[in-house]
Amino acid sequence: MKHLIKSGIAALGVALMATGALASDWTPPGPIKLMIAFRAGGGADTQARLIAEELENRMGWKFIPEQVTGKGGLNMANALKSQPNDGTAIGLAVTETFGYNMAAANAGMSPEDFTGLTTTAGFQMGVVAPASKGWNSFDDMIAAAKSGQSIRFGVMSPKLADLAYLLGKSQGVEFNIVSVKGGKAVLNGVNAGDIDIGFMAGIQAKGVAAGDLVNLASGLSTPLIQTPDAPTLADLGVNFNANGYFVFVGPAGMPAEARDALSKAISDVVSDENTKAGGLIKRAFGGAATISGEALSKLMASEFASSGTLMEAASE
Amino acid sequence: MGTLDYIWMGILSVFQGPELFSILGLPVSVTLVMIFAGFLIGIAVGATPGLAGPIAMAIALPILISVFGYTPDALLPVLGFLIGVMKGATIGGAVPAILFNTPGTPDAFMTTLDGYPMTQRGKAKKALRVAHFSSASGDTFSDIVLFVCAPFLALLVEAYLDLPEKTALLILSLSFIATVIGGSPAKGLISTGLGLLAVFIGTGEDFYPRLSMDSQTLSRGFPISTAILGVLIIGAVLKELQDLWFQKRTSGTVPRQRDEGDQRLHWADIRRLLPFIGRSAVIGTVIGALPGIGSTLAATLGYTVGRSRYAKLKRPDAPDFGKGAAEGIAATEAANSSVSGANLIPVLSLGIPGNAAAVFLILAAESIGGFNPGPSVFRFTADEVNPELVVAFGLFTAMMIANLLNWTIGGVFMRSMGVMVRIPKHILLPSVLLLTLTAIYVQETRMEAIWFTLGFGVLGYLMRTLNISPLPFVIAFILGSKLEDSARQAFAATGGDPWFLFTHPIAAAFMAASVGIILYSARRKTPTL
Repeated sequence: MKHLIKSGIAALGVALMATGALASDWTPPGPIKLMIAFRAGGGADTQARLIAEELENRMGWKFIPEQVTGKGGLNMANALKSQPNDGTAIGLAVTETFGYNMAAANAGMSPEDFTGLTTTAGFQMGVVAPASKGWNSFDDMIAAAKSGQSIRFGVMSPKLADLAYLLGKSQGVEFNIVSVKGGKAVLNGVNAGDIDIGFMAGIQAKGVAAGDLVNLASGLSTPLIQTPDAPTLADLGVNFNANGYFVFVGPAGMPAEARDALSKAISDVVSDENTKAGGLIKRAFGGAATISGEALSKLMASEFASSGTLMEAASE
Repeated sequence: MGTLDYIWMGILSVFQGPELFSILGLPVSVTLVMIFAGFLIGIAVGATPGLAGPIAMAIALPILISVFGYTPDALLPVLGFLIGVMKGATIGGAVPAILFNTPGTPDAFMTTLDGYPMTQRGKAKKALRVAHFSSASGDTFSDIVLFVCAPFLALLVEAYLDLPEKTALLILSLSFIATVIGGSPAKGLISTGLGLLAVFIGTGEDFYPRLSMDSQTLSRGFPISTAILGVLIIGAVLKELQDLWFQKRTSGTVPRQRDEGDQRLHWADIRRLLPFIGRSAVIGTVIGALPGIGSTLAATLGYTVGRSRYAKLKRPDAPDFGKGAAEGIAATEAANSSVSGANLIPVLSLGIPGNAAAVFLILAAESIGGFNPGPSVFRFTADEVNPELVVAFGLFTAMMIANLLNWTIGGVFMRSMGVMVRIPKHILLPSVLLLTLTAIYVQETRMEAIWFTLGFGVLGYLMRTLNISPLPFVIAFILGSKLEDSARQAFAATGGDPWFLFTHPIAAAFMAASVGIILYSARRKTPTL
């Protein structure tokens, strides 16, 4: 009997230690499939791959990056939804995917089908023009438009197209809104002269610093870090904004220890400016922005719920 | 950053890339090794009847990508390897043509006409030397034309073509390709149309999955590699397997010919051959620069032009064309080899692939990312580096290195490849099938990709059976999304003008040309191209 109690206590101890170890020291049960909702070779794709590379070094986890592009991240979301939720499948998209795009597609998906892990960086969304146009401010551009010049406005998502439309409406001009695939394509279009101005989410940083590009306005609710004097959309009479983040998600119902371990590991990497990923984020977005846990779930849910108002406003 | 700085950076990017090992303290970059390996494999593949450069490129690509990853560092090693294969296969194709009267690649058919008679006369080694010298000369000439023309053409396009004109140019290229490949404009259009239909499934700007018939599997569209490898490689393998089924395998031993007399290529020979090589190199380069017209036509034209000139000039005792004239080999090989460099002019300056090898280069660039062949590559930005331009000059450097290898060791290696003809097709073809499917799974990691590939393979087989060229299908698949994007953008940019293709003069001219070329070739009774 005494022996039995003894071994019982021992077993209990081992079990307790094992659970303790599990919570603080979670390791994925297999290689982690990393679904990237962005085109290979772009800024966001590079970010995802650099984060995975650093996590492999730091944590010894193994990643299998995979491109699942198209339909504003919804293809990725759709593929990720049915993956195992034990932490062996995660995806990188933008918050817009789970907000405006998911609501607009009306395809039976909602943010509740996913476990938000962490954001990595907030957009530095600017309305950008090439310096060669000679516009030093937003007003210069509007003046040119009013004098009869037709302005091509490059956007990379339907939500941004709505915002561009509303911006024109509030200023009394009509932009020719050209949608292209990804921020890199907006930048290329502006450089090649196919597009006059465009929304860029951070890719413009180098060009603005070099004086080739100008941030005419901030697409955010707050001023841009790089060009704090540029007016925000609210200043220009638009009650919506392009606030958004790059976000890592997993399928719904991911166990807490997996979720916490993954989001902590990712935020540690992106917040460390000495890592390649952290350095990239610092250069393009002015620094990491990591929102995780409850706050992230709330953010995703509220973007989903509120996107209907923007769609209504833009279809008036 | 001037032009020369970019060229220098491109050269350095090849030599100073990630280091693989060092010889006597000199670091050897992985790109150099890959070009070298690609070149040798290319010669071997070209010398194997039933295999061709594109097959090797197709199988190697997913394997290379899984080795090198998706970083920008992977671009030059992978593309360098593919370029090596492309160039190696071009000269390798002549080996079985000359030695065994069996062309290793389709464009080496004309080489058999004079190459095999020379072998029968005991001049096999000499014939191989002639083929190598002509091939390497034609190739080098064509590359130099590429280096000069591609940046220039790209700058021209960027400067003068707006979105509507770019859309019209894509339509013109598609209709040109549909008409000139395969001989029948109607069949070409069917092939192009099917390619466009396939690429439009599941893609598009809308959130609604287009043409997917509510199927989750189709809603993401067909991955580009499944369509290309399916139609081009699996289709070809199925067709060859069928041919093998019908004709009992000839198991007789290949007759060996003994070499007699002087086998060397003398300076006098070279002087005699040079006019033929020069003329064929120009023909091949011009043909190569037009998308869609392949090296087979270049070889035929080069041979025909060479023959009529030879008939006027030849010494009475010299053998006629078709009876073992070295000039015949030179005219053919210079023409078909000079296609390969010039073929990259439309790829690099417009993003439009013209042949199967170019298709795989685009597929590689697209899979790895960070390099989008097209006019935007040649933007000479002054204050910050345009990485795509560095890659472009890196590619040019890789081509020059491959040429150098061709001139130095290519000939020796090529002459030792006679054994490849002994590889039995009933083992080769299933191996290619298995490798291709594995390669697809490595890249796409989902089972649907295999089904897609097999489906496209059956399509490719049917097209070949009905004598429809699968190349317009593949090129349309690559250009389809580009066409849709630029058409949408042109429509939006012109403020919603539905006639944007016809209201801009250059665009209207392109459109007129695209209709004109189809009408013109449909009217002719005997299609010649």
